[in-house]
Amino acid sequence: MSARQAAVSAGIRRGAIEFRNSLKTPTDLGYYIVGNAIFVVVMVLNRGSMVDELGITSSRFIFPGVLAMILIFVATYGLATLVATEREDGTLLRCKSIPNGMTGYVSGQVTRTALEMAFSAGMLLIAASIIVPDLWANGALAILGVLGMLVFGLLATLPLGLAIGSFFKNPRSLGGWGFIVMGLLIVGSGLFAPLITMPEWVQVLAQLLPLYWLGLGMRSVLLPDAAVAIEIGESWRMLEMLGVLGVWAVVGLVLAPVLLRRMARRESGSAMEARRQTVLNRVA
Amino acid sequence: MTADSEGTPVIDVRGLSMAYGPKRVLTEIDFTLAKGEVLALLGPNGAGKTTTIEILEGFRAPSGGSVSVLGADPISVNEQWRGRIGVVLQSWRDHGRWRVRELLQQFGSYYAPFSDEHRPRPYPVDELLRMVGLTELASSKVMSLSGGQRRRLDVAIGIVGRPEILFLDEPTVGFDPVARREFHDLVHRLSDLEGTSILLTTHDLSEAEKLADRIIILNNGRIAANGSADQLSREVAGTTEVRWMIDGQRHVHATTDGTAFVRELLAQHPDIHDLEVRRATLEDTYLAMVASHQAEQATPVLEEEGAK
Repeated sequence: MSARQAAVSAGIRRGAIEFRNSLKTPTDLGYYIVGNAIFVVVMVLNRGSMVDELGITSSRFIFPGVLAMILIFVATYGLATLVATEREDGTLLRCKSIPNGMTGYVSGQVTRTALEMAFSAGMLLIAASIIVPDLWANGALAILGVLGMLVFGLLATLPLGLAIGSFFKNPRSLGGWGFIVMGLLIVGSGLFAPLITMPEWVQVLAQLLPLYWLGLGMRSVLLPDAAVAIEIGESWRMLEMLGVLGVWAVVGLVLAPVLLRRMARRESGSAMEARRQTVLNRVA
Repeated sequence: MTADSEGTPVIDVRGLSMAYGPKRVLTEIDFTLAKGEVLALLGPNGAGKTTTIEILEGFRAPSGGSVSVLGADPISVNEQWRGRIGVVLQSWRDHGRWRVRELLQQFGSYYAPFSDEHRPRPYPVDELLRMVGLTELASSKVMSLSGGQRRRLDVAIGIVGRPEILFLDEPTVGFDPVARREFHDLVHRLSDLEGTSILLTTHDLSEAEKLADRIIILNNGRIAANGSADQLSREVAGTTEVRWMIDGQRHVHATTDGTAFVRELLAQHPDIHDLEVRRATLEDTYLAMVASHQAEQATPVLEEEGAK
């Protein structure tokens, strides 16, 4: 086994341990459960109401958007915050100090994020199968379609999360604005109300960003064909969806190594110590 | 032959200089580290110790001079090189949720591809735990360890790859006396049994004297002294301070030959009183150095703040 392969498999173990540790930590577990419970409650409340133009329940219309949203929450926002946190607390520096440690760190983060995504999506899919009427009306292929979209979605969102996380010096500079940006993105990406009902500039912006296309892709898999009526151009635009998300995947895959390397290069014991002093001073 | 063959130093530093903007941190540093040698960089805070060690670890590019660690320039090294050195970092709160044994296994596995018959890598985790005295805490979470226990874990992570050179930056900060003693034993064991070359920084003279084969005193980014503790006590601390009073006035004189000076003094001025003759110890010299360094530091800091 080459040194790099050894680091990748150590990284996979690292990711698995990190995920297991977070399942054992009450605050993290609480975060997963409460976060997913909110979606479940929303779906329960919308179980009876109908989207009149489409003849389906609101909960069935919303659910693909929920999957798109947790993708971006877990693999972009959550991952970016974690990378910035681990830069500050010295995890990264420690990985940098061992041979191929950064390779291990990245493969660990990819593993952990994929596991967290599988866990969250799994919980939601099980809950939705019970709550949402006709969720699987499109047949068994829809299950494959959802899995495919989740994997493809990870490819578009996860490298982006790594890149954004390594751009920021600490989680606080990322956290506040990041949350506002996430909120705007979710409202403006047509996940819970059709994009065609929004102002034109919002439509243009949303179509440049990945979240709208993740939602569209999920809807194309889970909604009846008739639901295409409220989409732009009355089409699922499969090629465009794959194209735009593919471009974001490439952007992330190109930027992430560059930014990760830049971040790693700047890490040193004294840089760490300086940050530690800043944090301690703020606490005091 | 590789750089670690007998006789060739494992670290060779020539004319090393470092400046952050206009501020000079290191000026023309020269030193070597032989295989199996323990070298302490001693100096007050801000003397340039951490900068030096970070340059040698490959974490920082120097402004001038040449640096060779295991035959390579640390700033342009590959992962193979990194597999042969060990860095003990000051931990803070990273990996808090990991269990001690898992963490050592995790980091050890990166070194396995660099194993050879002379140095089987990584260290078996149980042996490592025993060496640093953490056997009982093997399944504890890192965040539950005390400061001294965490520091020993840092050392264990630093040596898990059975390094040929080990870098330790202020290794015993926050240790109680027992932990300090155990740590000293560990350092001796590494250098004696494993032939590990060790470079450590400290601002504590007595620690440098106990641990190191050789001490380099850094002051204001320059090497003020370089030698074994014995040599330094003779060379650096070779001066004798003579104090006396005459006509109500105090006089102080530093000389290399106290006896001769006093004989002369008494012959010329029979009416002196309050005569004190004191041989300066290495500690006196070092403390004087630290005090003058601090006095110099006090003014520039104000200027810098004014300039902002």
